[in-house]
Amino acid sequence: MHTHIISLLVEDHPGVLTRMSGMFTMRGINIKSLTVSPCEKEGLSRMTVAIDGSESELEKVRKQLSNLIEVVKVIDLTAGKAIVRDLCLMKVHVKDASMRAEIMQLAESYGAKIADATLDSVVLELTAEPQTIDRFAELMTHFGVKQLIRTGVTAIGLNASRER
Amino acid sequence: MLGPKLKGAEIVVEELKAEGVEVAFGIPGGVLLDLYEVLYAEDSIRHILMRHEQCAAHAADGYARVSGKTGVCIATSGPGATNLVTGLANANMDSVPVVALTGQVPTAAIGSNAFQEASTFTITMPVSKHNFLVKRAEDLPKVIHNAFHIASTGRQGVVLIDLPKDVLATKVAVELHPKETFPGYKPNLKPNRVQLKKAVDVLVNAERPLILAGGGVISAGATAELRLLAEYLGAPVVTTLLGKGAIPETHPFSLGMAGMHGRIYANRAINECDALLAVGTRFSDRLTGWLLDQFAPEATLIHIDIDAAEINKNLPVDIPIQGDAKLALEELSKMLEKRRVVDTGASLWVQRIKAMHAACEDCIKDVYRAGTSVSDMLIKELNRILDEDVIVTTEVGQCQMFAAHYYLAKKPRMFISSGGLGTMGFGFPAAIGAKVAAPDRRVVDIAGDGSFLMTCQDLATCRENDIPVVVCIFHNRYLGMVRQWQELFFGKRYSHTGLGFTPDFVKLAEAFDCYGERVEKPDELKEAVQNAFESGKPAVIDMIVGPEDKVLPMIPPGGGILGMIGTEQCTPLEELGPVRVFGVPQAC
Repeated sequence: MHTHIISLLVEDHPGVLTRMSGMFTMRGINIKSLTVSPCEKEGLSRMTVAIDGSESELEKVRKQLSNLIEVVKVIDLTAGKAIVRDLCLMKVHVKDASMRAEIMQLAESYGAKIADATLDSVVLELTAEPQTIDRFAELMTHFGVKQLIRTGVTAIGLNASRER
Repeated sequence: MLGPKLKGAEIVVEELKAEGVEVAFGIPGGVLLDLYEVLYAEDSIRHILMRHEQCAAHAADGYARVSGKTGVCIATSGPGATNLVTGLANANMDSVPVVALTGQVPTAAIGSNAFQEASTFTITMPVSKHNFLVKRAEDLPKVIHNAFHIASTGRQGVVLIDLPKDVLATKVAVELHPKETFPGYKPNLKPNRVQLKKAVDVLVNAERPLILAGGGVISAGATAELRLLAEYLGAPVVTTLLGKGAIPETHPFSLGMAGMHGRIYANRAINECDALLAVGTRFSDRLTGWLLDQFAPEATLIHIDIDAAEINKNLPVDIPIQGDAKLALEELSKMLEKRRVVDTGASLWVQRIKAMHAACEDCIKDVYRAGTSVSDMLIKELNRILDEDVIVTTEVGQCQMFAAHYYLAKKPRMFISSGGLGTMGFGFPAAIGAKVAAPDRRVVDIAGDGSFLMTCQDLATCRENDIPVVVCIFHNRYLGMVRQWQELFFGKRYSHTGLGFTPDFVKLAEAFDCYGERVEKPDELKEAVQNAFESGKPAVIDMIVGPEDKVLPMIPPGGGILGMIGTEQCTPLEELGPVRVFGVPQAC
């Protein structure tokens, strides 16, 4: 079992997301994360889907996705051959000034920004590889995480990415 | 260039005509009034009013399977569309090109739970190759052109177009007959030559080559190419249910249908072969059985399929070849011809296959062989009575497997059955579609009492539109196939498979002003069938059969292709040449 990241170039029509996610539902595959946004080509969107599965399952998924009429291109972004990012917003509980200082110091070492601050909390913003965010979030639980929101991974292939 | 202003419904009909549509099976409704207003004055499209939307979809399906053209069905919004779903799922599962048009509530009312509203677009997504919800009349030309393009090319399938009432009623100026397609839809037909060469190497060097033909051979129009290749190679041919007719089953190289309810010899050949060329099949569990180590364990597996997603899906393949079956088989034959390997038919393998073929042929000809059930006798009689130009459709269950076993398909597109979905009630409306597609041919539906009762109301359609199909009912007052399983695997506890009361099918036919006749003994069948054909009317032949007749042999659930039960009627394998068993035979 590996996490696979698939990047899809799709037509920007209503129903495309349902069709794509329905393909996963029909085959009992859980989508770990999903991002959708417009891209450089007019009328097309890019979806980044992260799924857990074996290499052979991935192969089947890739073919089924290619069969969808509105999917223009399917790109398998294998680890190491793509730049992968996740954005995290986290509201962390702050009890006193020393805790605040400690949080800010740790945030700085991870490259996280303070997006907002109140007397009893700070909102941290971190864009990084998903594993880095995992570690940072784990660390912050020590102080008390009130809310954690992640966008899910988005990724861009380096030259050697496999295109189908 | 924009044309004059047309109503959406007029654009739809213009585009249907441009796609060559001659027939549509449908039922109108409130939101389709504009479309039917246009059809009222349209002479070039024959509209056949069905009595249930499921039958409209099955009729379009049967029409497409027989004609090779795309079938068209029409249903209104809400219940019309939901009734259509079973028929669409059936066609899509068997890769049959069908375009469905459904009415929808006006765009402004979508999502408001309006009268007769259902989310047809989302409901039909998993049972279609593609579907559209048209929001603007301007999009109609492109949508309809692409619907037919998508349904009929690549791996064929169902495309549904949902048409809101206001889209059909609005007048717009559009450019008709656009050629624009979708950038993400470019099915590849051309097989890879390197892969084909590899396949030739394997086939030439094989001692026991075998061809497995699926429905894809028929939909690709590749039956002549398949036969030629089989003869070049000296390779016998086994088929799937949908592959019946890919090679004449009277051909000495034909071993008939393989799989769960297939012939024992066909399954043995799959076990024994050392090279398996599978064409246009998806290796469904009904073909392979469940113990996959018995399925061609010694063979190099070559798989030709138009759909890349089918390759390596159910079985690991040694030589995958994605592409059109006709092109691929043509190329293979050419390459073989160059190498001058024309099998003389003298090999042990071919001799054994011919012996197997002959054993089956003897069994089928021997109608009243000792120990034969009434059902077996009747289907063997039908095989004898019906000539090669009769189109046979089947319902689903025992009647279907009797037909698959004993009715020999001699030509492609002449044996029509619900394969993947196994839809009871399919055969009769499919026969209607078949008869409309080929009015000069006789059409017979091989039915069961359970199945026929699911769609028999469309006798009215046959009567009204003069569509004289003949329904032959295996009347056992049971849901026979499930009963058979209960008998064999659930200790004869016939839970809710007994129908108890069944109607008098002769009177039922007569109530619809159709011809009806009862057959109490198999030797009465020939005359009854003749009477039915000669009546010129739609007809029902009520064949009384043994309530506990079974369709055998079969692979029990969980078994493999070596583990068939109920083979007592078959000539023992030992008498047909040296028996070799590969893989692990397991008792079931």
